[in-house]
Amino acid sequence: MEQVVANGVYLGSQYAMIALGLTLIFALMNVLNFAHGQMYVIGGFVTYTFYGQFEVPFLLALLMSCATLAILGALIEKFLFGPVIRRSAREESTMLLAAGIAFLLDAVILLVFGEKQRGVPKIVDGVFNWDFRIIMPYDRMLICGLAILSIGAFIAFMQFSRTGRALRALAQDRTAAQLMGVNVNRYSMIGFALGAMLAGLVGGLLVTITGVNLGMGGPTSIKAFMMVMIGGAGVISGAIAGGFILGMLEAVGLAVLSQYGDITYLVIFIALMIFLAIRPHGLMGKPWG
Amino acid sequence: MIVASRILQFQDVELYYDRVYALRGVTIEVTEGETVALIGANGAGKSSILRAITGLSKIDQGSIYFKGERIDGLEPASIVAMGIAMVPEGRRVFPFMSVKDNLMMGAFTRKGKAEIRRTLDGVLERFPRLKERYRQSAGTLSGGEQQMLVIGRALMTRPRLLLLDEPSLGIAPKLVQDIARSIVRINRDDGVSVLLVEQNSRMALSISHRAFAITTGSVVISGESRDLLNDSRIKAAYLGGSV
Ligand SMILES: Nc1ncnc2c1ncn2[C@@H]1O[C@H](COP(=O)(O)OP(=O)(O)OP(=O)(O)O)[C@@H](O)[C@H]1O
Ligand SMILES: [Mg+2]
Repeated sequence: MEQVVANGVYLGSQYAMIALGLTLIFALMNVLNFAHGQMYVIGGFVTYTFYGQFEVPFLLALLMSCATLAILGALIEKFLFGPVIRRSAREESTMLLAAGIAFLLDAVILLVFGEKQRGVPKIVDGVFNWDFRIIMPYDRMLICGLAILSIGAFIAFMQFSRTGRALRALAQDRTAAQLMGVNVNRYSMIGFALGAMLAGLVGGLLVTITGVNLGMGGPTSIKAFMMVMIGGAGVISGAIAGGFILGMLEAVGLAVLSQYGDITYLVIFIALMIFLAIRPHGLMGKPWG
Repeated sequence: MIVASRILQFQDVELYYDRVYALRGVTIEVTEGETVALIGANGAGKSSILRAITGLSKIDQGSIYFKGERIDGLEPASIVAMGIAMVPEGRRVFPFMSVKDNLMMGAFTRKGKAEIRRTLDGVLERFPRLKERYRQSAGTLSGGEQQMLVIGRALMTRPRLLLLDEPSLGIAPKLVQDIARSIVRINRDDGVSVLLVEQNSRMALSISHRAFAITTGSVVISGESRDLLNDSRIKAAYLGGSV
């Protein structure tokens, strides 16, 4: 029991960060970023390259993942989403564009990093063992701690910084935010960069546990969409709730359902469909708050 | 001709949305210190005039000057930073932010904590209700309180020209009086020039110096507000049943 909860918290902390990035981008620009999973994969490969291959310190490699994705996100917003949103009146255009970017990034990953599964040396050795009730390797605990710390920092940033306030204002009422002097183009770019950066950060954290490979992008995006649907799109609390709920469900599923085969996600999908039929806007369906 | 005492000159402006005309050659001006009212029926183009001034809608012909400087074509953020504040139609508060954070968003482009603090105190003094609701999220306020909040938020930018789009719409009659009174004070005590769009023409004419009546994208009548209150055309068209 304790073990399942611990696994759930560990997974949930990673998932929540992925969902936060996705929901931030959605709240700000009304864009469903289908390429979110690919951004996560790139974050993993960057940390792999710097920490695994060039042997720079892990935290520095993580920073490189963040920086790479922030820059990539900013460029994608500035040159792709920004112009398309300004010119097109139809919402499908951004969805098609997002899907296109997902394919493009898959191709870029293949070219730059190859198709092999990559792993890195453990960041810390040893296993935590509490009376055989909770057994968890120290590296997982560290990664979980770092993720929760990052989530806290992100929330504080959104609540208390000038930039965070501007991003929230933009998400809640674009016109009113413009009338306060918020430069929509600049802050859309900042928001997109921030969302992409969160994806890259999780990728960098998780590469130390699960490794990384090209095929992880799509499934990660799908999980991210599920979390956002569970919690409600465009809300910080919704993303966090969605992340932890999915993490917990997965942990429970693996403990309980694995004896019947690999059906955890099948069950989760069915449960999600029923849930959405009852609560189509998720748990906290309201705009960014 | 650019006249220095004119805080706003809006000249021969044409604006269309997807080939549908909203403004067909509108000229209005606001003199420093004045309150000017724009009245007219639904769809006349009043909001479009305000949106054009703040750059939210791009104009297709004509020119707009603020304190002698040309502003059409600039981004809304730059126009706002120059000293124009707009309270848009429909009380657009940031619903999930506190009253405080809403007000602080008004100071977004400003520097100097002490100065901002002073403006904030002034706004809270003018609208004591906002002080009572300071930590509450804006979405939970009543319509009248939200209207006070968006006016207060606009004042936080410390504007020289305040654009108000139908501040009395959907608000209890008692509060309409309060809001009208605050507009007069903002103009008289703070010396802020005001351009007021109103469906409630009688209220608008009674608190403004001059007024323009707009019909389908053109100015049809203009003059001193006190004369227009007695103008037979205005009476027939705009003062019918409204209080
Ligand atoms: N975004 C838009 N797209 C297309 N047409 C628009 C748009 N906004 C306004 N219009 C049209 O432009 C004209 C002028 O609209 P505007 O909002 O300026 O009128 P208004 O005088 O403010 O009306 P109201 O009293 O209803 O607020 C109307 O015919 C309206 O239908
Ligand atoms: Mg209007």
